[in-house]
This record gives sequence, C-alpha cells and structure tokens, in this order.
Amino acid sequence: MIWEILRMAVDSLTVNKLRSFLSMLGIIIGVGAVIAIVSVGSGAQSQVTSQISQLGSNLITISPGIRRGRSGRISFTATDVFTMELAEQIQRNCPSVGLIMPNLQTSGLLIAGSTNYQTQVVGVTPAYQQIYDFYPARGQFITEEHETSATNVMVLGSGLAQELFPDTDPLGKTVKLFVRNRHLLFVVVGVMEEKGTGAWGNIENQAFIPASVLMKKINNRKYVNGYTAQAVSATAAKAAVGEIEYFLTRYMGDPEKFRVTSQEQLLETISQVTGTLSLMLGGIAGISLLVGGIGIMNIMLVSVTERTREIGIRKALGAKSRHIMAQFIIEALAMSGLGGLIGIGLGWLGAAGVAKIGGWPLVVTHGSVLVAFSFSLLVGLFFGIYPARKASKLDPVIALSYE
Amino acid sequence: MLIQAVNLQKVYQMGPVRVEALKDASFQIEEGEFVAIIGPSGSGKSTLMHILGCLDQPTAGRYFLEGQDVSAVSDDKLAEIRNKKIGFVFQQFNLLPKATILQNVCVPLIYGGIRGRRRQLKLAEQALEMVGLGNRVHHRPNEISGGQKQRVAIARALINNPSLILADEPTGNLDTKTGKEIMNIFRQLNKEGHTIIMVTHDQEIADQARRVIQIRDGLVQKDEVIA
Ligand SMILES: Nc1ncnc2c1ncn2[C@@H]1O[C@H](COP(=O)(O)OP(=O)(O)OP(=O)(O)O)[C@@H](O)[C@H]1O
Ligand SMILES: [Mg+2]
Repeated sequence: MIWEILRMAVDSLTVNKLRSFLSMLGIIIGVGAVIAIVSVGSGAQSQVTSQISQLGSNLITISPGIRRGRSGRISFTATDVFTMELAEQIQRNCPSVGLIMPNLQTSGLLIAGSTNYQTQVVGVTPAYQQIYDFYPARGQFITEEHETSATNVMVLGSGLAQELFPDTDPLGKTVKLFVRNRHLLFVVVGVMEEKGTGAWGNIENQAFIPASVLMKKINNRKYVNGYTAQAVSATAAKAAVGEIEYFLTRYMGDPEKFRVTSQEQLLETISQVTGTLSLMLGGIAGISLLVGGIGIMNIMLVSVTERTREIGIRKALGAKSRHIMAQFIIEALAMSGLGGLIGIGLGWLGAAGVAKIGGWPLVVTHGSVLVAFSFSLLVGLFFGIYPARKASKLDPVIALSYE
Repeated sequence: MLIQAVNLQKVYQMGPVRVEALKDASFQIEEGEFVAIIGPSGSGKSTLMHILGCLDQPTAGRYFLEGQDVSAVSDDKLAEIRNKKIGFVFQQFNLLPKATILQNVCVPLIYGGIRGRRRQLKLAEQALEMVGLGNRVHHRPNEISGGQKQRVAIARALINNPSLILADEPTGNLDTKTGKEIMNIFRQLNKEGHTIIMVTHDQEIADQARRVIQIRDGLVQKDEVIA
C-alpha cells in the first residue's frame, strides 16, 4: 500500500512539473546555501590554520598593549618599552622560552646595478631561522658576529634575489639600500630557501639584515616593535605565555602595556571567528529553508483545494483518513526531499567553484549533507502535516460535490 | 435481508435555517433486487443514497446493512464498508482525471489491501471486460466518451465484488442511446445476482427496474414492485 501511495504522490508531482519545481525552489536554495557556506567556511578555515602553523610552531608574539580610549582619555599604543636587553632578560627569566628575537622591520628601496626593488627589510638575529623554520639555501644567514659588530650584510629572499640579480650570482655582490633619505651599502652573504606560497606571499621577497644595523644605523632608536618567542616545546607554549606575562607585569608594573599571544590562541580566535561567521550565514540559510517550507505548505494547500473532488472520490472508494494523510505527506516529503537533493548538488558545485578560486581543498562533510537533507525532510514533514490533515478531514459528501 | 432502513432522518442546519433533506424514510431491500428511486429535484434522493452508501450518517433513525447497524460506527469502519460492500456509480462519472483507466479501476483494490500489482491489473482487466471495455485501458478519462467513462465507473464499482451497487443518475449525463446501453449493463449485472439501487428522474429508466420507491419532500410516498 505504501508503495502505491508513494507512486501516486510522485505521479501527481510529475503532472505539474513547473509548479513542483517552483515550490521546491526555497528548499533548493536553502539547502544549497547551507552546504556551500559550511564547505567554504571549513575550507577557508583549514587553509588559514594550515598557513599559520606553517609559519613555525609554538610561536609566541609579544606586542605593545593597546589601551582603549575611555571617556576623556585618548587611546594609545604603548611605545618605547621593548629593548634588546629586555629580550635577553625575558629569555633568562622564563625557562619555557627557548628562543626570542625582536620584531623589527622597515620598507626601503633596494638597488643593484641598474635594477631596483621596493620591499620589506627585516632586522633579524640568528634565532630567526629556528623560530620561523626558514633557512638560507646558499651562503649563510645573519650571524651572531654580524649582529654584535653591526656589519652591513644582507640575506635575500629567493624571489628578491631573482628580481635584483636575474642573470648573476648575488653572493658577494653589493646592494644599495635607500631608506629615509639615506643610502647604505650591504654585501649579500646569503639567499634564502624557497618556502612555497604561504599566508605571507611576500616572505620570498624580503631582505634580511642584522637587527643591530636596522636599530643603530637606520631607526636610530633602541626600541623595537615587539618580540617573537618560541617555547622550548609545543606543550610548553602555555607555560611560556604565563611566564612572560608574569615577568613583564612585574617588570613594567602595568599589565596593559603589553600583550602576549601564542599561536594556539591565534588559531583558536580564527576558528572562533570563522565558526561564528559560518553559524551566522548558516542561520540566514536556515531562514531560507523555513521560507521554502512555507512555500511548500502554500502549494500543498492550493493542491488540497484543487483536488477536493479527487479526495472525495478516493474516500468514496474506501480511502481512510490516514491514507489521504499519507498521500499528501509523502507528496510534501517527496518535494522537500528532492529539493534537498538538488540543493545538495548545487551547493556542492558552488562550494567546489569557490574552493577552486580560493585555492583550498573542497571539504563537504557527510555530516553537513546529512544534516541539510534531514532538515529539508523535516521542513517538508512539518509544513506538509497541516495541509494533509486538512485533506484527510474533508467530508466525503461535500468533497464529492465540490466543483 | 440486505438493507433495513428505519425512520431515517437527515437534517442540515445552516445557521438559522433548518433543512430537512430526509424526514422519515423506512424500507427494506433484499439481496438481488433492482430498485429505482425516483422523485422530484430536491426531494432527498441523493441524501438517501449517501446514507445507504455509508458516505454520510443519518441525523436520526437506524440503518442496517447485512444486519450490521452502521448508524453508529467510526469513520474508518465506514470507509472499510464502502470499500468492501458498496460500489458507487455517479452521474459525474468521478474518475481520477490524471490516472489511466486501468489505474482508476485499481483504486478500490489499493485501499482494500489487495496486494500484488499483477493480481490487481488482472482483476481490473476482468472487470473492464465485463462492461465491454477490453481495449483502451491505458487511456486517460478525457480521451474516451461519456458512455465509456460510465463503463469504467461501473467496472470500478464492481471490482471488489460488493454486495450493493448504488447509482445516482448514472445516465443523467448521457444521450438516450448510450443511456440505454448503460441500463443494459445494469440489467445484466442484476441478472447475475448483483443488488442495484438507482436514482433517476426518468420514468422510462425507472420502468426497467423491478421495484420503484418514490420519494417526495424527504418522505417515501410510494413503494411498488413492478411485475
Ligand atoms: N450539504 C447540504 N447542506 C444543506 N442542505 C443540503 C445539503 N445537501 C442537500 N441539501 C438539501 O437537501 C435537500 C435534498 O437534497 P438532495 O440532493 O438529496 O436532492 P435530490 O433529490 O438528489 O435532488 P436532485 O434530483 O436535484 O439531485 C435539498 O433541499 C438540498 O438543498
Ligand atoms: Mg441528487
């Protein structure tokens, strides 16, 4: 019997194809949007997190605190607090901190022969290599000696080396740095390895010079922007953050003057933000599912009225209320279910398109497909019940005489 | 005794207006009879048919079908009785327009729980054969003539082998010649033992029955057996 009722439902849907499709449209759009949003959200998130963890593990960033402007007070960024000496003190006083280096960079024009290139110049100490897991492919990196004697040496990113020395070997060559109306000459001592495209695409085009050179000869300041530290191990990252916070609070007497963030916290924040965003967009898509359900109910009510006579005939021939009920509910379910399937297909396609553009792997989880499909069935059931009940309650004599 | 109607009354209350469609109808019908119910328009013929066909319940009075009191059973039980014991033939044919003729004839089998597609189709073909419609079974109702539609309706009424066939003006929408053909089918069915109750305006058609019940203003005015 259930098969016969199912067949009748499918028959009645195919009789009026355009109308069935239009009433499915809300469900199609809703389910498609849910699938696409969830997929794009998790794809983007997995890309961002993989890029961040690619930067190096157990990274801890120490940066100036930002005090918010409260009534009458102007917001300010704490400056002139981080020195090279303080970095050494942090390392000495925080046992979970393995390496620490200053964050220092400027932008300048590099000139080699007749070519020039505007780029980021980063002041580094040797620790940079281990912290960012980034090493020279040829020559050497900035050494401790370069650092203490403030020697004018430079290591080029692989892309930058290509730009400045397309045909010749850059090692041993001289590069002129034009920054703040001053010229400085540097000897190229190394070229970095290629790291592949990551979150920071310009890493290949950076130039590296000793931190001391940048501070003494260019900035003329003994302060740096902040520090990047590395915990002795991944499990020690939390402890390291605590130790640094404790030490700096005691040292500066004001916990608002600095901020300590670990990689882990950053990842957490990002996943929270993308999670919230997905949830919000998913909610909007959910509303469209609801609207789709109302569309189905509307069409079902019209259909019940149109088919009053048919219902009367069926009842006269022995259909019980539950047969009529089942027929209309199955019709609603078939409509919402089919709409859900089409929506899943379209959402999948959309997500695949966006993933291709964004360059991340397509992630469509079984979970999201299952949830979207069962939700569309649920919508069909919920909004089909009322019209179906209405149909099943019709009085056979009145229904038979309906014109 | 197939049918026993005792003081049947049907009242429609429409706001302040009270319509007594059926005032007081009592009669008995035996198995194998061919009864015509005649009367002027609005006299309560259809109302009576609806009650006899278990489509409706009387406001008062009792109705026994095969000895069972059906004035007090549930809607589901009534549906079952309609399916198993009663075959309807309407003036408006009342076929399902989107289903084929074969599918139309199968509908009572589906609700009767007769399983097996093949068995259903075989029974439907047999019933259509009985009314002289062996071919064209895959057409839809709008592709056949009125007389053919009424044959389909009769086949559908017969398919569950009911104890009673009710026909409300079955020739009302047909021309005289086609009407006669349909009447011949009913007479043939009656000869084969089917009990038939038929509503009609037409005295000539009523004359072909073996008993005529005349109704006026919701009352049985005359009940006579034709020789
Ligand atoms: N659902 C209803 N509500 C109110 N009054 C009704 C209803 N059905 C029938 N009636 C009234 O009951 C009376 C009998 O109607 P019924 O249909 O039984 O007459 P009929 O003898 O079949 O007439 P006809 O020959 O025109 O078909 C009429 O006055 C009709 O208006
Ligand atoms: Mg009538």
